[in-house]
Amino acid sequence: MRLPDSVTGSFLVVLGAAAAYGGYILPPVPGQPVGPNVFPLVIGTGLALCGLAIVFGIGHSFEEEEELVPLEDGQAAAPPPQSKLYGLRALLPPALLLFYVFAADRLGFIITAAIMVYVTSTALGAKWKLALPLAALSPFAIHLIFGKLLRVPLPAGLLPTPW
Amino acid sequence: MLKTLIDALALISTWEVIIAMFAASVYGLVIGSLPGLSATMATALLVPVTFYLSPIAAIATIVAASSMAIFSGDIPGALLRIPGTPASAAYADEAYAMTRKGQAELALGAGVWFSAVGGIAGVLSLMILAPPLAEIALSFSTFEYFWLALLGLMCATLVARSSPVKAIAGMFLGLLVSCIGIENPGGVPRFTFGITDLFGGIEPIPALVGVFAVAQVMRAMLTPEPPPLPRRKFGSIMAGQWKLTKKYHWQMTRGNIVGIIIGVLPGAGADMAAWVSYAMSKRFSKEKEKFGTGHVEGLVEAGASNNASIASGWVPSLLFGIPGDTIAAIAIGVLYMKGLNPGPTLFTEKASSMYAIYLMFIIANILMIPLGIAMIRVAAYILLAPRSTVMPIIMLCCAVGSFAIGNNMFGVVTVAAFGVIGYVMEANGYPVAAMVLGIVMGTMVEQAFVTSLIKSDGSILPFFERPVAAILAAMAIGALLWPVMVWVWRKVKPMQTAAATTR
Repeated sequence: MRLPDSVTGSFLVVLGAAAAYGGYILPPVPGQPVGPNVFPLVIGTGLALCGLAIVFGIGHSFEEEEELVPLEDGQAAAPPPQSKLYGLRALLPPALLLFYVFAADRLGFIITAAIMVYVTSTALGAKWKLALPLAALSPFAIHLIFGKLLRVPLPAGLLPTPW
Repeated sequence: MLKTLIDALALISTWEVIIAMFAASVYGLVIGSLPGLSATMATALLVPVTFYLSPIAAIATIVAASSMAIFSGDIPGALLRIPGTPASAAYADEAYAMTRKGQAELALGAGVWFSAVGGIAGVLSLMILAPPLAEIALSFSTFEYFWLALLGLMCATLVARSSPVKAIAGMFLGLLVSCIGIENPGGVPRFTFGITDLFGGIEPIPALVGVFAVAQVMRAMLTPEPPPLPRRKFGSIMAGQWKLTKKYHWQMTRGNIVGIIIGVLPGAGADMAAWVSYAMSKRFSKEKEKFGTGHVEGLVEAGASNNASIASGWVPSLLFGIPGDTIAAIAIGVLYMKGLNPGPTLFTEKASSMYAIYLMFIIANILMIPLGIAMIRVAAYILLAPRSTVMPIIMLCCAVGSFAIGNNMFGVVTVAAFGVIGYVMEANGYPVAAMVLGIVMGTMVEQAFVTSLIKSDGSILPFFERPVAAILAAMAIGALLWPVMVWVWRKVKPMQTAAATTR
């Protein structure tokens, strides 16, 4: 997900300009010299200027490259990524959170949470022998802590908890 | 004062506070010791739990969990060469080298002992520094508050290990996020795009959980699993610590002082304290050549320093509502939620609560010694837990915790969105801590800015007229412009040398 500085900088210029314009068109407070428009105007301008500086490489020389920890003897190196789509795996956690938003009320907390845990666990390399019991037990444990002890209203859906 | 102290003791000697503190300590130790899970993340995930506790018990959990997590980050650093928290990264190599030399007990024992000593030194600084500073702060007007808040934001960008321009951009992004909602001088919907869920603005806590916890799970999806811990039997953990204290008493004191100073600076936290202290220890050591080969001196100084900064980081938080670091930023959110609004008047109006906070810090640091030793002994088992069992549970806690904040699914959407934002920012060298500080402090900065502008009838001059405001302004503007000045200097200098050689 490493993008060139020119791309991220340009994005910030556009975002800053949009924020400044968004602030500019806000209605002023009658009888007051300043209103809700001033702060977004200042921030938007600042953000756009930062974006421009990044595009032109100002401050780049301060960046420290991340140090890679060398591997010890006998430790196997991780296999290199297999395909171009490998990077998309990173989007799985936010996708699962959105799945929770849409499914929790219909399926209930236990079933939705079990699916989330199973998918995350297998995506991180767990075998089904580990992922399945984890998916079966951890939603009940979390429900006990949040739902029962802390009284967070978690949806029952298709499978209510025994407590 | 004695009466306030007795009142404070009464406040903390309830079963609720004692149990909350003990449970949070164990939780902080476990989370801090797991590689990749930071002290900030431990604290952020704890916030939904604090909703259900009394104000003092809520603060107790934050104090205990953050202090313990900062120490226990040293455990995987020493045993696996993988720092549990960024603060332990400064000396993870050194501690691991000691482990390879067969001195794991000494390295881990120094971690516990000097962290506890540093933590107590930090609390003493909080007790001594905060009341006189509160008196000064009472004379501050909105102009001073505005510059102080801006300076706090700038400190966070100065200490980032990335491009300062990117850090400043991160800060502006955070401020922009804080603009969302109807809580503004006009009370009009701002940047809400007609979405009613956005009318209340973006809560800092789901944003924090997103950038620190979800983004970490996202990174775990692409990075290889850390190596398993080799089987090892530990001897006595505390043996030899008193000898070290006598031998390196000056290094310990210096670490404490540096930690306190860095903690008090808004925006610079335990990570910075550990890095600076380790570097200082090496610079002034009589045995420089031993550094990197498994030498305990740097561990003493940096270990004392990072825990000292945790307590002293509460000084700007309690006085001005300006967080010393990201953990203090979360603590401020909890303080507001529990009616202990930060500000200089807190020291006069809620003095017993203040003393209760001091006492809790002292207890947490004393508790750290037995619990820390126990944790080191069971670390072998906890570190055996594969990432594929820890990360799914963290994910589930993110979803439920962010829902619990407002009993509203929008919190979960916020967490997911900020997970992606945090991941993309980190991957491209934009420090997320600067953005988080922007989100937390945005409303305060805007209020101070707009109120000052209304007072001055739209004129900029009064921002520089009061002497303290002028000094703070010069510092903040200097911090804002220095990357550009350095860039210009670097461009001009080669041109001058080229002109001189051609002449």
